Amino acid sequence: MKKLVGVLTAVAVVGAAACGSSTGSDDSGPIKIGSVHPTTGALAGVGGLMNDGAALAVADINAAGGISSLDGRQLELVSGDSQGKAEVGQSEAQRLIDDGAVSLIGTYQSDVTQNVASVAERSRIPLVIDVAVDDKILDQGYQYSFRMQPNASSMGTDGAKALAAIEEQTGQAIDRVSYLHIEGSFGDSVFNAFEAEAANQGISSVQEITYPATNFSDATTQVREAAVSNPDVIVATGYYPDGLLIARAVEQLNLNVKGVYGIANGAFDDSSFPGDAGAAGDGVLSANYHFDATSDRVTDIRTRFEAQYGRPMETAAMLSYQAVEVIAAGLNDGASSDPEDLREAISGVSIDDPLLAFSGPIEFDETGQNKNATVIVMQVRDGAIAQVFPEEFATDAIEFPVGSGQ
Amino acid sequence: MTTTTTTSAPTPVQHDPRLKDTWLRRQLITLAIGFVVVAALPLMLGEQAQTVAVRTLIFAVMAVAWNIMSGFGGMFSFGHAAFFGIGAYTGAYLLVERGVSPWVSMILAAIISAVVGTLIAYLCLRYRLAGSYFALATFAFAQMFLLLVQNLEVFNKTEGFNVPILPRDSWWMLQFEKGSPNYVWIPLVILALAVLGTIFYTRSRAGQFVQATRDDETAAASLGIDTMKYRLIAVAASCALTAVAGVYYTQYYFFVGPEQAFGSAVSVEAIVPAVIGGIGTIWGPVIGAAVIGPLSELINELLRNPPAFLEFLQGTIGLDVAAYSVILIAIVIFLPKGIFGTIRERWNR
Repeated sequence: MKKLVGVLTAVAVVGAAACGSSTGSDDSGPIKIGSVHPTTGALAGVGGLMNDGAALAVADINAAGGISSLDGRQLELVSGDSQGKAEVGQSEAQRLIDDGAVSLIGTYQSDVTQNVASVAERSRIPLVIDVAVDDKILDQGYQYSFRMQPNASSMGTDGAKALAAIEEQTGQAIDRVSYLHIEGSFGDSVFNAFEAEAANQGISSVQEITYPATNFSDATTQVREAAVSNPDVIVATGYYPDGLLIARAVEQLNLNVKGVYGIANGAFDDSSFPGDAGAAGDGVLSANYHFDATSDRVTDIRTRFEAQYGRPMETAAMLSYQAVEVIAAGLNDGASSDPEDLREAISGVSIDDPLLAFSGPIEFDETGQNKNATVIVMQVRDGAIAQVFPEEFATDAIEFPVGSGQ
Repeated sequence: MTTTTTTSAPTPVQHDPRLKDTWLRRQLITLAIGFVVVAALPLMLGEQAQTVAVRTLIFAVMAVAWNIMSGFGGMFSFGHAAFFGIGAYTGAYLLVERGVSPWVSMILAAIISAVVGTLIAYLCLRYRLAGSYFALATFAFAQMFLLLVQNLEVFNKTEGFNVPILPRDSWWMLQFEKGSPNYVWIPLVILALAVLGTIFYTRSRAGQFVQATRDDETAAASLGIDTMKYRLIAVAASCALTAVAGVYYTQYYFFVGPEQAFGSAVSVEAIVPAVIGGIGTIWGPVIGAAVIGPLSELINELLRNPPAFLEFLQGTIGLDVAAYSVILIAIVIFLPKGIFGTIRERWNR
């Protein structure tokens, strides 16, 4: 059986001949930033956009003269593909660190981010989370993870507050709400926070309806169920495909509601939503973190992005862009490319003029959460996304009630 | 009228003692050499390659476990995620909520998983589910556990568990500095023990009986083999081992959620290496895992730094997934009995 032994050894050796050993960070050549996103698999669309957003940021910073406090050293983006799987995200993060990345950005999905955050923590490499909503990621007491966007529970809370503010502003009573959300930690945590805050805001009944995260191809049943309690508003939390199905089902069933209101909804403020949803999208509201359409800098970045990559730049990609800027600011402030110094510097950054509609500079608290992260409310108007609330970010006035509920 | 007569089953047909010994010796030498080779890996590899090695070893343990029940036992399970998940969650829950050492959890999880698996298999076999119906039933149970965990507060619902990071290495808590070779050696030892167990199991009475039952249940039963009992033994062993892999998964990845533990992708990850390597063979699952585990990593590495003639492919995203699929299809078409199974057949001609 010598042959067998030979085969086995060969297989083992081939299987192990993955990649070289670590190079570590050196003080010459470009400073590497690792990006981990799902660039293949079901989420490849948004993952690819995010990777492009980060690449654009690196190119812009390099074109503007690199990191000035480090004699204009250039940045280099090294990209990894999580395939949407937590284990793969972990080994990709590890690969990028071995490759000499001094900082990471990523990853869009909460469960993958949990894994990557633990890698970053144990490798002592700062991770700037561009998109990942779960509260729990930062609840571990990790020192090396930072997040720019609001977490799930604050979005649920702020979503309820904004709804109450809309009620006050328009004089339209909102007492009964039916809440449709995707199964899983993301939907659960946003909903739980909303429910708690809705009680404080005097919304008398909140009915919860969940739908599966996979093989969800028709929302009619769930929307019909949501209509049973005769709600004033239907609230929805989920991703793009399911959000689109819900909007269509609401239109098909011709429900008598004052409006459809997304919270942390992946569909309702996406620039392709009005076109995909057609009439079903008209007047749909969405409370979410969002790029600031009132900012000239954002408009310029989005224009160049679309020219270069041929697709509109969504909020997720803008967050990846911003994440690279945060790291660059850290490198600049700390005047060092050492990951430890960089972590220290990032924890103390203050970035004015954020690219997202936040009510203040990007600053991280002791858990690594951006203190000033907020949601704003958008609405589909005339086939485009308009910002309608609060006043300081508004590009258009809110229209409420909308649709057939008038 | 009927008195139960216990017919002692014939001993397995292995007349020539020399034949038996050389076979066993060969297996053990192979195992020893393989063990030494893989054990040397962490000393030569970078950290990222090490994560791939660990992932591959976890696959291998699962595949070996799956193979006991489905390869030798002939009961095709499409729901091994259920048992992997029991392990992952038992380990996570006991560690996070009760501070129990993962080593203890491995034993507990193995017992729980074996009991649950035996119960499920008993029900399926009792009602004569066979073939694809049996597979579907196991799949349904895995899905059921997924839903259960997602909705039980005690298991953090959809949030999953994070393993707390300790300030220093601890053998007792199975946590070491990142990149420590122990992370490779521990699953390697588990795998070696699993293969060793399989080697002796296939030669044992229980293993021979279960294979006889797989090949012809009626004949086996008519010879007085208690088919149910020996099948359940195979199931119990398979589920226990899968749970151990689950406990280790949680320890290594520091996070486990419902999808990572009970998702249907996990069941597939147990099956694919065994099918690719050769179902119902001792080395098939191990070889299958060694091929499949690092495959997409190797392809990606090749694409990142391609040789001159592949220059045009540089930076292509998603090619690894495509190549992976093509290789899988090719193996299934050209090596119908799996890599190991087909090669062994050719050699023995």
